[in-house]
Amino acid sequence: MHRVGSAGNTCSSSRPRKEKRFTYVLNDADDKKHCAGINCLSVIKSPTRDCDYLFTGSRDGTLKRWSVVNNEAQFSATFESHVDWVNDVVPAGNSIVSCSSDTTLKIWNFLSGGACTRTLRQHSDYVTCLASSEKNPNFVASGGLGGEVFVWDIEAALLPLSRSPDEMGDESTNGIVSTAHTVSSLRSVNSNSNNSSQTTQPHGYTPVPAKGHKESVYALAMNETGTLLVSGGTEKVIRVWDPRTGSKNTKLRGHTDNIRALLVDSTGRFCLSGSSDSMIRLWDLGQQRCVHSYAVHTDSVWTLASTPTFSHVYSAGKDLSLYLTDLTTREALLLCTEKHPILQLALQDDSVWVATTDSSVHKWSADRNNPQKFFENGSPFLAGNMFTRAKSYIEESTPVPVCKQPLLNIPGIPGIVQHDILNNRRHVLTKDAAGSVKLWEIIRGVVLEDFGKVSFDQKREELFERVSVPTWFTADTRLGCLSIHLDTPQCFSAEMYSADLNISSTSEDSKINLAQETLRSLMAHWLIKKRPKPRSHISPNNEARSQIHSRLEVDDASENQNMTVLAPFQFSTISPPSIITEGSQGGPWRKKINELDGTEDDRDIPWWVLDCLLNERMLPKENTKCSFYLHSCDSSVQIHTQGKLSAPRILRIHKVSTYVLDKILLDRPLDLQGESGQNGGHLRLPSFDSSLSSGVKPWKKKPIVEILCNNQVLPLDMSLATVKAYIWKKSEDLILNYRMVQA
Amino acid sequence: MVMGAAGSKLEKALGEQFPEGERYFGLENFGNTCYCNSVLQALYFCVPFREKLLEYYSNNKTPLDAEDNLLTCLADLFTQISSQKKKTGIIAPKRFVQKVKKQNELFRSYMHQDAHEFLNFLLNELVDILEKESSNSVKNSLAASSASQSVKIVNGPQLPLANSGKNEPLVTWVHKNFQGTLTNETRCLRCETVTARDETFLDLSLDIEQNSSITSCLKNFSSTETLNAEDKFFCDKCCSLQEAQKRMKIKKPPHILVIHLKRFKYMEQLSRHKKLSYRVVFPLDLKLTDTVVDPDTEYSLFAVVVHVGSGPNHGHYVSLVKSHNHWLFFDDENVEIIDESIVQTFFGSAQEYSSNTDHGYILFYESLVRDGQ
Repeated sequence: MHRVGSAGNTCSSSRPRKEKRFTYVLNDADDKKHCAGINCLSVIKSPTRDCDYLFTGSRDGTLKRWSVVNNEAQFSATFESHVDWVNDVVPAGNSIVSCSSDTTLKIWNFLSGGACTRTLRQHSDYVTCLASSEKNPNFVASGGLGGEVFVWDIEAALLPLSRSPDEMGDESTNGIVSTAHTVSSLRSVNSNSNNSSQTTQPHGYTPVPAKGHKESVYALAMNETGTLLVSGGTEKVIRVWDPRTGSKNTKLRGHTDNIRALLVDSTGRFCLSGSSDSMIRLWDLGQQRCVHSYAVHTDSVWTLASTPTFSHVYSAGKDLSLYLTDLTTREALLLCTEKHPILQLALQDDSVWVATTDSSVHKWSADRNNPQKFFENGSPFLAGNMFTRAKSYIEESTPVPVCKQPLLNIPGIPGIVQHDILNNRRHVLTKDAAGSVKLWEIIRGVVLEDFGKVSFDQKREELFERVSVPTWFTADTRLGCLSIHLDTPQCFSAEMYSADLNISSTSEDSKINLAQETLRSLMAHWLIKKRPKPRSHISPNNEARSQIHSRLEVDDASENQNMTVLAPFQFSTISPPSIITEGSQGGPWRKKINELDGTEDDRDIPWWVLDCLLNERMLPKENTKCSFYLHSCDSSVQIHTQGKLSAPRILRIHKVSTYVLDKILLDRPLDLQGESGQNGGHLRLPSFDSSLSSGVKPWKKKPIVEILCNNQVLPLDMSLATVKAYIWKKSEDLILNYRMVQA
Repeated sequence: MVMGAAGSKLEKALGEQFPEGERYFGLENFGNTCYCNSVLQALYFCVPFREKLLEYYSNNKTPLDAEDNLLTCLADLFTQISSQKKKTGIIAPKRFVQKVKKQNELFRSYMHQDAHEFLNFLLNELVDILEKESSNSVKNSLAASSASQSVKIVNGPQLPLANSGKNEPLVTWVHKNFQGTLTNETRCLRCETVTARDETFLDLSLDIEQNSSITSCLKNFSSTETLNAEDKFFCDKCCSLQEAQKRMKIKKPPHILVIHLKRFKYMEQLSRHKKLSYRVVFPLDLKLTDTVVDPDTEYSLFAVVVHVGSGPNHGHYVSLVKSHNHWLFFDDENVEIIDESIVQTFFGSAQEYSSNTDHGYILFYESLVRDGQ
């Protein structure tokens, strides 16, 4: 506690420019389950033919590979690097390509353990859909919001085009002048595949743009040979392109709402479209007209899958129903109904995989080549056309699904759909899609309590605590799990006393900065494995960064001291969180903390995180202080009133009380004698030391001096910040009053 | 009070047709108070509103204890006009204008003021006063009835109980005349969930285009807007930002539909407001289609506040009023009878620089169906 000038605290300097954010994503269970809706599916036949692979891409930001043998699906890998929803996935040769709302495409070796081979950054908004061509496996088209469509040659995109800056750095230290590398930002596949998830654009390869969309694209399809590309979206028209040149061919009108699903037959003559207007349309691309429209669904059609000959189409969408329609006879059949809107279908021999907004995937009985047999067992109806509605509506009877139970279920974890940060700014209350309410401790990423299916709002009220801690993180649940975002400098504004976290410390005043310790714990693997390398290639104009790196080397000796993770910040090793980081190079990426191996480039981590970890330097934390006035309750002693005081926000009232005793009352023994003369000697004892030795928390002892605010006696364990927020309730400086307790 | 020659002229013009019991009085200008006069005339000839005000005046006659407010001043003024012995003449709305200037410093200066801003201020102020009075009367009646342990509110529709936990907004007679409901529908383009949010309005402010009509402006008003790129919609269902389509629909049309044409547009490059003299046709009979609840609602135009002048910071306001099938032209003190065909000369001009600077600015339509209230 020290005095500050009565002129008041000087304001912090102008707001710093927007800095890169550091995020961590908490996991509750093992890695073998998705924890949010499944947006996309892809079945890949294994070359060895002993098993097929199913790839699932989820709103949780990951893709997972499942090996499917007979009627069992075994988890076999997680592909983690996207930082937002994975929206679509297609096979491309020995790779799979995924696209995401994080605006990137990522290429993965489909047999690998989960490493990202390349990140393609060309889109400027969400990438919603992909299309590939069976016979030209390197050809992939990507479509997205803002009408962006690009056609990629995956093989060319994977070609290494320049050496990585790391190598260049080594060269220059070896005395080789690397002026040949004029474009130092050109980075490509790193020698270390683990590191490659961070490889970024711009690289040498540029895709072919299909220019001319006025609005967002939600669906794409390509023919077998990759000579024809169709796109659809909020413009409600289907555009036909030559993907090799990106040139426009035609435009097909007919749908009255967003186009969400497209298919092209192997010859490139017919096209099927599914729309939010709930219609399926069959188009003759040669004649440039709609030949059939099928009213089968009662709501938006979001996904289509067809037999190779285009004789039948499987369709599903918002109405939870999966229909099979004979495109020639117009007979339709309800195959099954899901409990959630259906996002994508993938046919595999005699079955169909169904992905919904739920985190599980179901396999239903179907037939890829000859589905006609289903009509014999079911009760088909005639699909309506544009003018007549489907037969099922006319009869007003809901058709009975052919299949009641899925053949197989790949379970997921219900995603978190609601959250609330509690007042102590360490606990977050969440509710998942199944209705379970849980309490999380975010500084070590664990569920403290599972309340089961109770009212979220009621539980939130129950857990209300009258404490005030500055907002040091923000949270969201778009990935179905808790993402905790740290931004500088506000993330460094929350402190706690070590003792309150049960951390033994030499001093009772020892404080812990929550963000600093959290960052240290999250980055522990990286810090331990980080081997300082000579880095002469760091641009000299970035002085701050060079300093960080020089410190890194200097600090090497004292490394171990830095490495210890405090117990209250120890994240789970069974379900470790992932970090999402973005540095000065390229875009953000995501990785499990235990998979950080020290090879990650410093430049992929925000400079302020490095500064905090390596130099223990944190940006001005003006928020950690609270100024207040201390007045006597007795108005006659106003002459002795102190000026403005400043103390940590977390300072407890008992410390103020001690301060009053030591600094104000005991400095004036004359005044005291009248009131508590006989206690005088006792008061002189430093109260804290004695309480430490006796093991009694100081605020549990009977107070001698009471502190009041707004005429309310304050509890001794209350912090200044809490007093200000809940008792003072004003933005002006706090005014506290003190008085002796009557014996 | 000054009697003008215009009064007798108007009387002569109407002759036998002078409506029974009606009064046509000009209003004195106290230095750029035409914004106020033009709106007052339009409101005076909004018959259901006038009736309520006169009723209010007679119910609250000479409240010695109560301090005067905008509502009492307005009721006083309307009563003064309607109870004139003469059929025509000029009245000085001195007390009312003084009150306006006292209540709102915006109108205190002698600068040119915006008539729409004034109308909006006035209606909201009236609502506030009525709400305050009603909550007081509820309190009083509660106090009175507390002895009998029963709470009954006589006289007054759906008055919310002052102590019942949720305070439903009070529906005053100002609301009943002018308030409509809009619904704001947002559809997430990803999960296609529609979220609807209702909001009330006392008038509709419409963006205008050259050579357009009220119908097309209304269509634009409820046209679909896409929230995308940097302006995505946070979908609660998706827990994330997604593209969305948003549209405004009139859910419940008001009894009196007040349409404000946004003729004063802020020009970024000029960094000042500019008057748009666009020709916007306003029909004498308007049909509101595509509302959510009601079938088509038909309206009839009964008053127009006209802005005269080429710029936003100067000019003049006059009003056109339809009373008993006659169109009248009110210009502060002057009142004239005009032919219905003259109304269309206030639509605006198709050319940018036109000598015609008299443009319809606020339109008052009354629903042809007198609703049950």
